[in-house]
Amino acid sequence: MTLAHERATEFLEGTRRQQRTIVTPEGVPVAVELADHGERLTAFAIDVFIWFLLTILIYLPLFFFALGGKNSALIGLSIVLFVGFVVRNLYFIHFELAWRGATPGKRFVGLRVIDRRGGPLLPSAIVARNLTREIEAFIPLGILLSWGGASPNWQHLFVAVWLLFFAALPFVNRDRMRGGDLIGGTMVIALPKRMLSGDLVERAAQYVFTAQQLGAYGAFELQVLEELLRRPKSLETPRLLAEVREKICHKIGWTAPVPPQDTEVFLREFYTAQRALLEREQLFGKPRADKYGGARPRE
Amino acid sequence: MSTLLATDTPIPPAKPAARPELVLKSSEFRKGREASWRDLETLVDRVERRGARALSLDELQRLPILYRAALSSLSVARTIALDRNLLLYLENLALRAFLCVYGPRVDARAGIATFFARDLPAAVRAARWHLLIAALCIVVGTAAGFLLAVQDESWVSTLVPSGLAGGRGPSSTRADLYDKEIFAPWPGFAASFGLFANVLFSHNTAVGLLAFGLGLAAGVPSVMLMVYQGLTLGAFLALHYNRDLTVDFLGWLSIHGVTELTAIALFAAAGLVIAEKLLFPGRYSRIESLALHGRQAGYIAVGAVLMLFVAALLEGGCRQLVASTPGRFAIGLATGVFWFGYFTYAGRGRDDARP
Repeated sequence: MTLAHERATEFLEGTRRQQRTIVTPEGVPVAVELADHGERLTAFAIDVFIWFLLTILIYLPLFFFALGGKNSALIGLSIVLFVGFVVRNLYFIHFELAWRGATPGKRFVGLRVIDRRGGPLLPSAIVARNLTREIEAFIPLGILLSWGGASPNWQHLFVAVWLLFFAALPFVNRDRMRGGDLIGGTMVIALPKRMLSGDLVERAAQYVFTAQQLGAYGAFELQVLEELLRRPKSLETPRLLAEVREKICHKIGWTAPVPPQDTEVFLREFYTAQRALLEREQLFGKPRADKYGGARPRE
Repeated sequence: MSTLLATDTPIPPAKPAARPELVLKSSEFRKGREASWRDLETLVDRVERRGARALSLDELQRLPILYRAALSSLSVARTIALDRNLLLYLENLALRAFLCVYGPRVDARAGIATFFARDLPAAVRAARWHLLIAALCIVVGTAAGFLLAVQDESWVSTLVPSGLAGGRGPSSTRADLYDKEIFAPWPGFAASFGLFANVLFSHNTAVGLLAFGLGLAAGVPSVMLMVYQGLTLGAFLALHYNRDLTVDFLGWLSIHGVTELTAIALFAAAGLVIAEKLLFPGRYSRIESLALHGRQAGYIAVGAVLMLFVAALLEGGCRQLVASTPGRFAIGLATGVFWFGYFTYAGRGRDDARP
């Protein structure tokens, strides 16, 4: 279902994020925005970087004080792998538990892990989705890195196919889930913080519109006008508003003159009157999606 | 609280256009509730930044009430308001508050206790047939590896990767195996720890997690991995059998092998649970079925990782310290009885209490 305000967002911002609906335990559907592949990759890269620093920080004193120089390189490497494994698993699981589905990287980018069906995010889901990270990324990457300059053979091909398989998973399903999300029943969403701006409604009206004039537009046009009025003022604004006023006046057949300094007042009053009419019609079961008059927006 | 319970003041019906004073229902609705939304927003902000502990007791009690009020505001706003900014704000606020109210419980101690007392053994019991299949694969692999290598020892070098063989092969003599492997002296703390870390990470965990994760590939790789584990084991067994070291070798193996092989089989069982739910989703869609049972498989995998830790400790630490075959068998048997008893009986009867 495309709601008018989503359509307005698409119109104004050029693109629309992929949306899914989850139903909260209270039974209210809430739309969530899927995270983009790029955002998730960025968050993962940040997390891997932090993990790398942490591993080195823990490993260095261990190496100097506990092991000295008397041990073989194999033991040193084994311990690096061990510390790395423990740190990264604890890191992802700890933060997703303690920060309610966000690691530092996800938080920086503005992403959250949620339960796909709208239930509470269970610790077991977090553990399952992060253990799978090992086989999706770290083990194949480890194998690739440990090869060094060896000449390519069929094993390289196998590991490359393996990496590609898991890397391609988020691209081939609707909800952009990687293997861990499939197993954990989770998905990753973008969670921007939205602000509540002031109400645009004007109470004292000096311009009065007839019902016929107000019937010229629908919810979609109303919300585009709203966005126009809410935008931060710039040098362009007066010209743009004047243009819009011209168009509206032409469309609704408004002949009385509107002084240029009153453009914004006129538009706000038109907005208020139009919203009053459309909201009332919507309450009475006659919603109007756009100027073509359909109850549902035209796709 | 007063803002919460505020109801709309009776609004005179808005006349269409012909009145200078316009009163919008949606606008009045917003005026009545905006304070409670703002209140919720501050609380959510603080929880997002510093966690639920940042809230006082009073605020913690207020959060779910405000959240439900915001949800109901959202439902109402969807029917009566066309203010895009308001709708987007309420939707976003409701979602953020939802994530705060229904976040994962962070009581780590209680979570860990339930995991060991109930979740893990119950998950393993539920996957007992999968576990049986995985164990059978290992047994079949072992038998095949043994039969191949007992006649022609060149199979040992074929079946066992050189990193794992550690110099053991057809050319090893009985004395080599006896002194350098089975009853080798304890190498000291640092080397033991190194060995511990090495067996854990260059081999066991990788194999285990592969068997688990590749359940996504319909379980075929999981089964193959188990057979391959068995082949390696069988080849080693044949090598020692031919040198009349079977009993000592089994003792040497049992001290950690009981735990390790159980863990590996558990990984494969978890992988097979995933594969089964993917191949035979029953009443659900494949993705739903996977989400429903994937967590159970996740429990098993976590338990198996922890078992591998125990196995690596036994292998790196205890194995060379206990230098007698009966002693090793005793430890191996004890671990076997412990795991069997734990997975069979722990948390029984409490399964009904599951939420």
